[in-house]
Amino acid sequence: MDDAAGTRGTAAAGGAGPVGPVGPVGPVDPAVTDVAAAAAARARPPEETYRSAGEWIRKNLFSSRLNSLLTIAFGLLILFAARGLLNFVFSEERGWDAVRTNLRLIFTHAYPEEQYVRIWVCVGTLVVLTGLSLGLFAGRGEGVQLQKISTVMAGVGAAIALGVILREPSVLIGADGAVVRENDDVVRQSFFEAMADRWAWWLAAAVLIAAGVVLRRAVASSKVSISSVPAVEFAVALLALPVLSAWIYPWGHFAFVDGTFIAEPGRTVAMSTKVPWTVMWLLVVAAMALGRLMRRGFDEQQQQRMRIPLNLLWLASPFALYWVILRDPHLEWDRVLSVDIPMGVLFGVIGAGVLWMLTRPGVGELGRIIAIVLLGVAAFNWLAAFFGWYSMLQKARLSFLLLALVALAAHNFAGESIKRRRLVVAWLVLMAIVHYFATLMNAPSTVETPTEALIGGFAVTVIVAVFTIMLSFPLGVLLALARTSRLPIFRVMATSYIEVIRGVPLITILIFFAIILNLFLPVGMEISLIASATLGYTLFSAAYLAENVRGGLQSVRRGQFEASDAVGLSTTQRTVFVVLPQALRVSIPPLVGQMIATFKETSLLAIIGVFDVLRMANSVIPAQTQFLGIKREGLLFVSVVYWIFAYTLSKQSQRLERRLGVGER
Amino acid sequence: MMEGQISMNRRIAPISRRSALRLAGVLVALTMVAAACGSDDGDDTDAEPDEPVATTEEAAPVTEVDLVQTEDDLLDAVIARGELKCGVSGSAVAFSETQPDGSQTGFDADYCRAVAAAIFGDADAVEFVPLTAAERFTAVQTGAVDVLMRNTTWTQGRDTEVGMDFGPTTYYDGQQLMARASDGFSGSSTVADIAGAVVCTNAGTTTEQNIADAAAAAGIEMRLDTFEDFDIVTTNFVQGACDVITTDGSALVGRKANQQPDGEEWVIFPPTPISKEPLGPTYGQNQSRFADVVNWTVYATIIADEKGIDSSNIDARLGDGSLDAEAIRMLGGEGELQTAMGLSADAFYSVISQVGNYDEIYSRHLNPVGLSREGSANAGWLDGGLIYAPPAR
Repeated sequence: MDDAAGTRGTAAAGGAGPVGPVGPVGPVDPAVTDVAAAAAARARPPEETYRSAGEWIRKNLFSSRLNSLLTIAFGLLILFAARGLLNFVFSEERGWDAVRTNLRLIFTHAYPEEQYVRIWVCVGTLVVLTGLSLGLFAGRGEGVQLQKISTVMAGVGAAIALGVILREPSVLIGADGAVVRENDDVVRQSFFEAMADRWAWWLAAAVLIAAGVVLRRAVASSKVSISSVPAVEFAVALLALPVLSAWIYPWGHFAFVDGTFIAEPGRTVAMSTKVPWTVMWLLVVAAMALGRLMRRGFDEQQQQRMRIPLNLLWLASPFALYWVILRDPHLEWDRVLSVDIPMGVLFGVIGAGVLWMLTRPGVGELGRIIAIVLLGVAAFNWLAAFFGWYSMLQKARLSFLLLALVALAAHNFAGESIKRRRLVVAWLVLMAIVHYFATLMNAPSTVETPTEALIGGFAVTVIVAVFTIMLSFPLGVLLALARTSRLPIFRVMATSYIEVIRGVPLITILIFFAIILNLFLPVGMEISLIASATLGYTLFSAAYLAENVRGGLQSVRRGQFEASDAVGLSTTQRTVFVVLPQALRVSIPPLVGQMIATFKETSLLAIIGVFDVLRMANSVIPAQTQFLGIKREGLLFVSVVYWIFAYTLSKQSQRLERRLGVGER
Repeated sequence: MMEGQISMNRRIAPISRRSALRLAGVLVALTMVAAACGSDDGDDTDAEPDEPVATTEEAAPVTEVDLVQTEDDLLDAVIARGELKCGVSGSAVAFSETQPDGSQTGFDADYCRAVAAAIFGDADAVEFVPLTAAERFTAVQTGAVDVLMRNTTWTQGRDTEVGMDFGPTTYYDGQQLMARASDGFSGSSTVADIAGAVVCTNAGTTTEQNIADAAAAAGIEMRLDTFEDFDIVTTNFVQGACDVITTDGSALVGRKANQQPDGEEWVIFPPTPISKEPLGPTYGQNQSRFADVVNWTVYATIIADEKGIDSSNIDARLGDGSLDAEAIRMLGGEGELQTAMGLSADAFYSVISQVGNYDEIYSRHLNPVGLSREGSANAGWLDGGLIYAPPAR
C-alpha cells in the first residue's frame, strides 16, 4: 500500500489531480492519494515538492480549525445523504418492477413493438456517426493514465464498501429472492447479519480494490511498459461491461405482452434488449476502427476536409431519421408521380430560369424590383391561405417564398457565369430537399400507434430538444446580428422580439403554442402538439441564444472590424469570416449552458400534455392498476437518465473548449 | 472600393424590355402551375377547407336544412376520416390507463372502443388522445378530439357556459372520505366524525371546496391540507401525516385495494357521497347526429346488460331465438333505426360482440380495483341503481 510513498509529486498543485474530486467522503486512503501523486509526478516537472497523503489531507481539509469543522460537518452531511439515498434505492418496499416493466413506455411510449427495429436503426445510425467522429477526430494524444484507472478502481471499490456499511441493515433478501424478516415489528436485523448477507457487494468491493492495487503496483514497478491507454478506446471498451453483463447477470426479465405482465427476476434480460445493444456496441467499435483507419490513411488536410461531409451527415440525420426511418411515410405513387415530382421539377426549372435571368450582368435595379414583386406574390399566397381565397399546396407557397428570398439575394451572384451557375445549382438542390421533405411530411405514417402521437417518452424529449437546438441556433445568431446591426429597423425588430420573448415565461409560450395556435391557423390546417411545442420552444430559445451570441459579438475588438474594413472585406465577409468565428468561440460556454437548459426544460412539455419522459414517471406509471402510486422510483430513474445526457453534453463542450482554446486567450 | 463602384454602375444599366416581358410571363406561368397543382389536392392539409366553404355558399340560398347538413357534420367527418379521435386521461386508474406497451385500457377507453365499433364496426378504429384536465375542453373546441371519455363531471356550467354537451352518465361517482379503522372510523361514519382531524386532498379541484362545505354544514372544525396530486396525498396518509383523505369514491377504492399496508384497515365513508359526480361522454355542442350515435352506443350496452346479452353469448342468443323484439331490432334484425342514424344495421351488434355490455365493461376494469356495482348507484335500475336506458324502438 505504501510503496509509492517515495514517489514525488503533488496532486493539488495543478488542481487537476485525481484526488481533487474525491473530497471528504471519498475513500481517502493512502494508496489513492499516493497513486495520484505518482500520476502527477509523471505528468509534471519533477521540481514540485513532495507531499504525502496525510499531508495533503492536513493541508486541504484540516488546515485550520474552521476548515476542520467545515470538513467534518459537510462530510457528515454527505454521509447522511448517501445513507438516505441507499436506503431508498435498496429498500424492499421499492417498486422497481414498475420502472423495469415500463422501460419501453418510458423511452418510446406507444411505438409498436413490431416496428421497433426502426428505433434501433436510428440509434445505430447515431452510434455509427459517433464512432466515425470519435475515430477520425477524437483522442489525439489524449490518454488515461493507468495510475488514474487504478485510483478510480480502488476508489469505486472503497465507495461500494462504504455504501454497504452505510446502508441500514433492515433489508435482507434470502437466497430464494424473498424478503427475510422475523417479525414485521422488528424491521432492523442485526448489523452483522446484514453485512454477511451483502457478501456479493463485499466481493465486488474487494475485487475492485485488489485490482486497483495490483495495477498500481505493476505500473509503479515498471512491469507494464505503457503508462497510459488511449482515452476514447478505453471509454468505448468500458461500455462493453454493461453490454456483457446483460448476457451474464440475471437483471431479470420484466415485460408486458398481450395484456399480461411478465416478471421473472432470475433471468437475464430479454433477447430483444441484449441483442440490439450488443449490435450497437459492435457498431461503435467497428465505426471507430474505420475512422482510425481513415485517419491513418489521410493527411491533416484531408482529415479536415472529412469534417464537412461528416458534419453534414450529423446535421441531416435528425431530419432523415425522424421523417424517413421513424415515421416510415407511406407514399401514394400515383400522386407522387402526377403532382409532387412534376411540381418540384417545375419549380426547380422555372425558378432556375428566373434566377438565371435575375443574375444577368445587366439586370440592375429591375432585378430587385422583380424580387420584391415575387416577395409580394409569396406573401399574398400566405395571406390567401388565412382567408381561404384560393387553394394552393403549402409546398407551393413555401417554394414561392423561397424563390422570392433567393431572388432578393440574387444580385450578389450577378455577373460571372460560374457564380450564376452556382446559384442555380444551389436553388435546384434546395428545391429537391424542400420538395422531398414536404412530400414525406405530408405522407401518412405507416406506423400505427393506439394514441395520436407517433412516439413519446424519452424519445420525444430528445427529438424536441434536438430540433429546438438545431433550429434556434441559426435564428439566434441572426437575431444577435440584427440586434447589433447599424440599421435601425433590424435593431428595433430584433430588440423588441428578444425583449418580448424574454419577458414571457417559457410555459406561457408553450401553452400558447400548444392550445391557442391551432385556433389561429387557417381552417383545415393542423399542427401536431409536438410540432407546435417545438416551434414555440425554438422561438423562445432563439431569444436567449441571441443574447449569448451578442455577448460574444461584443467581445470582438473594434480593431478586428477596422482591420476587416482596411483589407476591403464586405460586411457579409467581415461578419462571416472575421467576427462570427471569434464571437461564437467566446460564447461556447453560455451556448452549451443554453443547450443543456433546453434539453432539460423539455420536461415542461409534460404540462401541456405531451407524453414525455417526465409525464410517464410522474403520472402515467403511478396510474397503472398494477403499479398504483409508485412514483418516486420512476422520478429517480428519470433524473438519472437526464443527468447522464446533460453530463455528457457538458463534458463534450469542455472538450470543444479545450480544442478551440477558449479561456486561454 | 473602386471595383465595387464599377460593378454598381454596370448593374444599373437597364434590362431590355423584351427580357422583362419574358420574366413577367414566366412568373405568371409559375403562378398558374402552382394554382393548378393546388386545385386537385387530395390529402394536403391546406386544401380541404376549400370544399366545405364552396358547398356552403351554394347551399345557402336553397334550404337551411341543407346548410346544417353540409356545414361540418361531425359524424360525416368522423366516418370520412375512418377513425374516432377519443380524448382520454391516459393516467386515470381503471378508467384509462396507459399500459407498458402504450395501449389504453380501462372503462373510459372501452367506451371509446364501443363508439368506434358502432360507427365503423371495428373497435380498434380509435385514436386515443391523452389530455390533461386543463386542455380537454379546448381539445373538443378545436376539433382535436371528437368525444371526451375523460372522467368529466356533468355540471351546469360546463353544459352551458363552456359549450359542451353531455351524454348519458356511465359512472355515478361522488366524493367520499377514507380513514383508518384503528382511528375509530367505520363505513357508516359521517362527516361530523372527522372533527379535529387532519384532512388531506389534492389542490385546485372541487374536492377541496366540497369537503369545506360539508364540514361547514356539519358544523365541525378540521384542518385541511392540500397537496400537489393524489399520489402525494396517499403517501402522506400512509405515513400518518393525514388522518383522513378525500376525493372521488372510485379513486379511494383503488387506493385502498392497492396501497393499504398489511395489518391496517382503511374504511371509506360516508355511505352517501358528499358530492355528485356523474361521469360520462362529453362532446361539442350542436352535433346532434354524432351525439345520438354516442348516446345510443351507451344505451345499447345498458339494454344488452338488462337483457343478459354479452359478448360471449350474443351469437348463441341470436341463433336460438330467445331474444325479444327490442333486442333483435337493436342488434340489427330490421336495423332501420340504426341506418336512420347513419350507422350500419348491425352497429350495436358490433359494440356488444367486440366490446361487451355495460356489466362486462364495468366488471372488467372496475371490479379489480374493488369497485362493485351491487348496492351502488351504478347498479341497474331493476336492482335499485341509476343505470337506465330508454327503450330501443
